[in-house]
Amino acid sequence: MNMTTPIEQREFKIVGKSVKRDDVLEKVTGEAQYTGDIKLPGMLHGKIKRAAIAHARIKSIDVSKALAYPGVKAVLTHETVPRVLHYGSPHPRSASCTKDQYILDDKVRFWGEGVAAVAAISEEIADEALDLIEVEYDALPAVFEPEEAAQPGAPLIHEVGPGGNLVLDPVRVNRGDVDKGFAEADFVLEGTFAGGRPHPAYMEPNVCVADWDGSNKLTFWTSTQTSFMVRGILAEVLGLPLTKVRVLVDHMGGGFGAKQDLFQHEFLCALLAKETRRPVKMEFTRHETFVAGRSRHPCKIWLKQGFKNDGTLVARDMKLVYDSGAYGSHGPGVTIVGTTAATSLYRCENVRLEGRCVYTNTPINGAFRGYGVVQSYYALDIQMDEAAERLGMDPAELKLKNVVRAGDIAPSGHPIIGHGLEICLQHGIDVLDWKALWNRDRTPDPKRPHIRKGWGIGCEMHGSSAYPGIKEQGNATVKVNEDGTVTLLTGAAGLGTGAHTALAQIVAEELGVRFEDVGVIHGDTDVVPWDIGAFASHTTYLVGTAAKMAAGKVRASVLARAAMKLQVSPEEIDLSEGKVFLIAEPDRCMTVSEAMGPSRGIPAANIVANGTYEPTKSYSFAAHFTEVDVDTETGIVEVRRVVPVHDVGRVIHPIAAEGQIEGGIQQGIGHTLTEDYVIDKKTGRSLNAGLVDYKMPLSMDMPDIETIILEAAPDPGGPWGAKGVGEDPIIAIGPSIANAIHDAIGVRFHHYPITPEDILKALREKGA
Amino acid sequence: MKRIVEFTVNGEARDMAVDACCSLLDALRDDVGLTGTKKGCDVGDCGACTVIIDGEPVNACLVLAVEAEGRSVETVEGLQPGVDTLHPLQDAFMRHGASQCGFCTPGILMMAKKLLDDNPHPTDEDIRFGLSGNICRCTGYTKIFDAIRFAAREMEAARS
Repeated sequence: MNMTTPIEQREFKIVGKSVKRDDVLEKVTGEAQYTGDIKLPGMLHGKIKRAAIAHARIKSIDVSKALAYPGVKAVLTHETVPRVLHYGSPHPRSASCTKDQYILDDKVRFWGEGVAAVAAISEEIADEALDLIEVEYDALPAVFEPEEAAQPGAPLIHEVGPGGNLVLDPVRVNRGDVDKGFAEADFVLEGTFAGGRPHPAYMEPNVCVADWDGSNKLTFWTSTQTSFMVRGILAEVLGLPLTKVRVLVDHMGGGFGAKQDLFQHEFLCALLAKETRRPVKMEFTRHETFVAGRSRHPCKIWLKQGFKNDGTLVARDMKLVYDSGAYGSHGPGVTIVGTTAATSLYRCENVRLEGRCVYTNTPINGAFRGYGVVQSYYALDIQMDEAAERLGMDPAELKLKNVVRAGDIAPSGHPIIGHGLEICLQHGIDVLDWKALWNRDRTPDPKRPHIRKGWGIGCEMHGSSAYPGIKEQGNATVKVNEDGTVTLLTGAAGLGTGAHTALAQIVAEELGVRFEDVGVIHGDTDVVPWDIGAFASHTTYLVGTAAKMAAGKVRASVLARAAMKLQVSPEEIDLSEGKVFLIAEPDRCMTVSEAMGPSRGIPAANIVANGTYEPTKSYSFAAHFTEVDVDTETGIVEVRRVVPVHDVGRVIHPIAAEGQIEGGIQQGIGHTLTEDYVIDKKTGRSLNAGLVDYKMPLSMDMPDIETIILEAAPDPGGPWGAKGVGEDPIIAIGPSIANAIHDAIGVRFHHYPITPEDILKALREKGA
Repeated sequence: MKRIVEFTVNGEARDMAVDACCSLLDALRDDVGLTGTKKGCDVGDCGACTVIIDGEPVNACLVLAVEAEGRSVETVEGLQPGVDTLHPLQDAFMRHGASQCGFCTPGILMMAKKLLDDNPHPTDEDIRFGLSGNICRCTGYTKIFDAIRFAAREMEAARS
């Protein structure tokens, strides 16, 4: 679609309304079926033996005792599974994947990596059998920090790739003349920043069920955001045609990006089922979702920027090092997206960026909401606050001066459409009376002198779609049934966002039927059109446009058929709320059902159409205004109030959009203040792989969130201008908190999470 | 060795043959076939498996199935007053977007039911405290609080 295509305006009947989500009825009654609820006759349970060492060669592995254990049906090791080098992040349209995984290898690269798998008649027996597997290791020196791993002579974790423990060649972006920019600067700010290892902690632990039939066809239920990629990689590695692999996913208990890898347990589950000729279920424990799941890449950033005294940004020099963990997974994509994102947000003509991604002997980092941009924008936004401080300016004023605007070149290489970020920022400034807030009396409340209040702003922008890293394609099929109802077939996963409802709204609106007359079929790779997966904040934007295209085609067919029956020309009739009527004479009408049915020698219709959409990218924007209380005695930071102002283009389902924002803020408060998956720096062991020790914000911790959604900059690339919203909130909230903490206690933090210990230590140092 | 446990679930007398070490959660899901109650951690951290036993909310993963002997267990499947009607909390969760992925929803609904049964007019603090053992990772809780407040009002209106 051409970026200059005007956005169609209309009176919306369904789009923009918070219709009841169909999937939620099943969820509140307990009927919704998740993968873990599946129980098949004769089903076995699979478990994985995990290494208790971070880096080693397997000298020997003896499974004889495990195999002899009553109830055990199969044991697999690296000696008995196919040895095929494959991708962890199976994006078939991306050039940035790293093939660095085997299903099981004779080498261990992180503490907790699977080295063998057992299938048994119960979970308990499978678990007990794991202890009977005897593994002898030749320990190798391990590295747990990217800086260390990138040093010459560091132990090499992989034999493949560019070498030096790099996951991919460094990502370099150069625009303008950075040296000239610095020469013209009135002052320069330089700092290092560090992001922790937050874990997505979706409520449903990873789970899959594999079942082979007599024709050697694999049916595979799995909790995944990318069912067609699972199908593709499973087929490739198992040497099967795509007709012999059927992937099914109904409801998913969250994913937040991390369920778009093809996991080791998924291969092993399929192979155990093949070996035993019985269905096998493999379900992670909560501990395993940490150890064998995916977390966000820890990142070290060096950032130097030159400013003029009027606040103009004249040079940006930035180096980023992402910690991939033991495998590439999404490391390449995250590095490219996170690094390239730093060309934008705040305008700067002279930019030099270098992003690296380095293997370490730690659990695998993968895709997680914010995809590399959480890290880079944390640094950019905090340093912008520092520049305001240096200039004696209100940070809102400086940010407003520098935020990207329409026509600026986005990280995708395309011009940005609309002034979304400026409008969000200005809107927040206005509704909060920010100027008064910023110039307020900061004297602490004499009744609670140890509590210091602070306000901070965080800005962000994020693309809907993974373009240009991935040339995306969205598909939808729409069928009109003979009773006038409509079926939408989509491969988009239902990971909980309400995407299927939004897609049904789009179809109903475009076609002219009632929302409740649209049924959605999803989650079966044998049935639905090919889908790239639910990620990159793109389902409504990408698949929504494809669904709109398909609905438009079937609408034309319905109108043509009705015109024939009414003996008028299609231009004379319209279709709305399931009725076809003469525009000039609305009383002359027929239902879609009547139009579809056979009559006077016209056979019943088969009206079906596909929509295929290959987008570039749109950008959504947000400015978060956040109030914190910092307790100077305990070091505890309490987020009191968040006013997130988002531009998401056309809103399809307001409550679902708000839900994305509020949930993203929850996760962002978490990674900024309390959440960090900690790996022991001496052994590589996980230290807090559980939901008590990994501390997330819960009901008692959440602030009041006063969500504001603006349709400030609709993008012609999405349905009626709709853009993504899933990832944006988690990016903006972090720097808003860090900046608010500075406002409260005058201390700048460049890392996350900012813990009570950090606060107390900084206050002691400041006092000294 | 299996033991036969006789108990009431959602008002219906049931028996099940379970191992002594089997949790009530596994028994409900695997033996009784009530999979609405979810397993998010299996160690009592997340609250997804909250059920009500003799009027008290518990994490079903921390209760042995044999402990259910002679007791009355309520799960999310028993929340609907009739086939075609929803409990006000279920309706409110739908209206207010309080359920996204839905995995925590059964546990939160049961905890919220207990909260409103005991305290028909909860303050915002009561609601926050009442849900402090239930992890939701999708919603930021905002919409869950909205839904519980709404349901409390609806239930009050229905009583008066």
